[in-house]
Amino acid sequence: MALLYGLIWRLLLILVHINRALVSWVRVRLRSWKGRLWERAIAALLLPLALAGFPDHQKKLNHNPDANAVTGNRAASRRSRWLSDGRSLEKLPVHVGLLVAEEEPSYTDIANLVVWCMAVGISYVSVYDNHGIFRKNNSRMLEEVVRQQQDLLGVDGSKYNVEVLSNSCDKHQHYVVSCRPTVKVLSPEDGKQSIVQAAQQLCRAVENKERSSKDISVSMLDVLLRESKNFPDPELVVKFGPVDSTLGFLPWHIRLTEFISIPSHRNVSYEDLLNALQQYGSCQQRLGQ
Amino acid sequence: MSWIKEDELNLLEKISANVLKAGPMPKHVAFIMDGNRRFARKKHMERQEGHMQGFNKLAETLRWCKHLNIQEVTVYAFSIENFKRTKDEVDGLMELAKQKFLKLLDERENLEKHGVCVRVLGDLEMLPLDLQELIAKAVITTKSHNKCFLNVCFAYTSRYEITNAVREMAWGVEKGLIRASDVSEALLSECLYSSNSPNPDLLIRTSGEVRLSDFLLWQTSHSCLVFQSVLWPEYSFWNLCEAILQYQLNYKSIQKARDLHQEHQALLQLEADRACVAEHLQHHGNGKPADAQRRQEALLHYTTCREERIQDFLEALKHKRDSYFSDLCSKDVLA
Repeated sequence: MALLYGLIWRLLLILVHINRALVSWVRVRLRSWKGRLWERAIAALLLPLALAGFPDHQKKLNHNPDANAVTGNRAASRRSRWLSDGRSLEKLPVHVGLLVAEEEPSYTDIANLVVWCMAVGISYVSVYDNHGIFRKNNSRMLEEVVRQQQDLLGVDGSKYNVEVLSNSCDKHQHYVVSCRPTVKVLSPEDGKQSIVQAAQQLCRAVENKERSSKDISVSMLDVLLRESKNFPDPELVVKFGPVDSTLGFLPWHIRLTEFISIPSHRNVSYEDLLNALQQYGSCQQRLGQ
Repeated sequence: MSWIKEDELNLLEKISANVLKAGPMPKHVAFIMDGNRRFARKKHMERQEGHMQGFNKLAETLRWCKHLNIQEVTVYAFSIENFKRTKDEVDGLMELAKQKFLKLLDERENLEKHGVCVRVLGDLEMLPLDLQELIAKAVITTKSHNKCFLNVCFAYTSRYEITNAVREMAWGVEKGLIRASDVSEALLSECLYSSNSPNPDLLIRTSGEVRLSDFLLWQTSHSCLVFQSVLWPEYSFWNLCEAILQYQLNYKSIQKARDLHQEHQALLQLEADRACVAEHLQHHGNGKPADAQRRQEALLHYTTCREERIQDFLEALKHKRDSYFSDLCSKDVLA
């Protein structure tokens, strides 16, 4: 009898996997069909514009001037579209966390996501994976983000200069000016381990008779865990991958964070991100009341 | 309106339970029982009635968990943030809690028969004294039961719990029981209100909200999170099966992540011990660098001493917590 139940259980799992595979296949097909349509529409609208105007650009460029003008225009139209998308949302998170719960992350796709977040108007973006891969390859991440910034936002991408805060012990930590979007690369060490370090700090103070144990309060611990005072708690975490867990992402900071899942970060589209942001817009927080 | 429901599962439910049990089953499930007030609005009943239905659903869920061999359940009954609600609603909830704990004491024989241990986690000093006394009685009465465990989080938020754990460790340092260098992830876990329980394998939140609302943030870092849109008073056996299936689909990858984290933790502890030993040898050595064997012996000795210190500290902490409950009980007896 136990064998029979075991067989049925395995069958059930297979059915669920097939269902998921079908759903994601349909999703990809729909998007590629929509994507081709969009690209053709843009090309049709912008090419005549590029050919007619922008003589200065044509003088400066030494290879196919039309293509570059089109690219410049395309970037400009994308920027304004993304900005207006951001403004049209019911509410926009100030800090978004990108939690990659997949093996072998793709830096290009993550960089795309970061750039889209900034273009839509999000001030703080953090990137996390539970193996600490992003943290180890911090500089590669930064390069990729800068490159995608150029590609997607065009020449005027300098408005969106990225500050990458990586190591909490970094003495050259930049203080964030509020209008500049900031990217933070996180790993599991920033989670429980930093709470433990804060606890050790407080206990050492008690050991040295600088403090009493009764002084320790929630706000005191909160201040210690918020090394850069301007970095707010993430209001939204977008999780990529099939694993339904936070995998150690900043336990202290996620008390009121909304979690929205996207099946994969590979070949993720702007529309996927926008959908997640729209879903976030409809979340209502009662804050205990 | 009892805590214990004794009915069996129907045939279809039994078969489904057996199919699920062929795979890995969660041993500890946590519930955020959200949606009572929305349910009340939907059914045009009073809020208080919604909360009562919510309690009924809890009793039913415990019955299903028992049939699914889920030994431990933790529920989020009242958050510290909920004190912000209107005085009427808060008083109503406190009154409901008092009634339920009185009922629990009434049913103590039944609880003993089923071996149910009830624990209440939270900053209980925030509650009215008479409720604290009832809670203390309930906890002490069911303390020795060990077939299944129900943890009720009342006047609880995770940040307060973590802060309290840090405060307890600092108290240990003040009393000279442990050193600041003994503070580790494992020790912090032992100082939480939930230290008697393993971490939840599965966390379920109902009513469609997709956040944790300051519930078990430390303990659920590697748990399977399932968000379901059904309102809590409408929760069904099939909703629970769906959540468990989700847990089973995630089992391997979460287990892998947990193991990775534990390996890393063990490494950190070893490094910390080595650093302490190196410092000690430097101060007490004779200027010559110690050889590998001496270092190894010193490390072993240091680790043993550290573990002993921690055991003594945890005993003292347990004693402090038990005294809180027994003092409340004896106060009531004297009154």
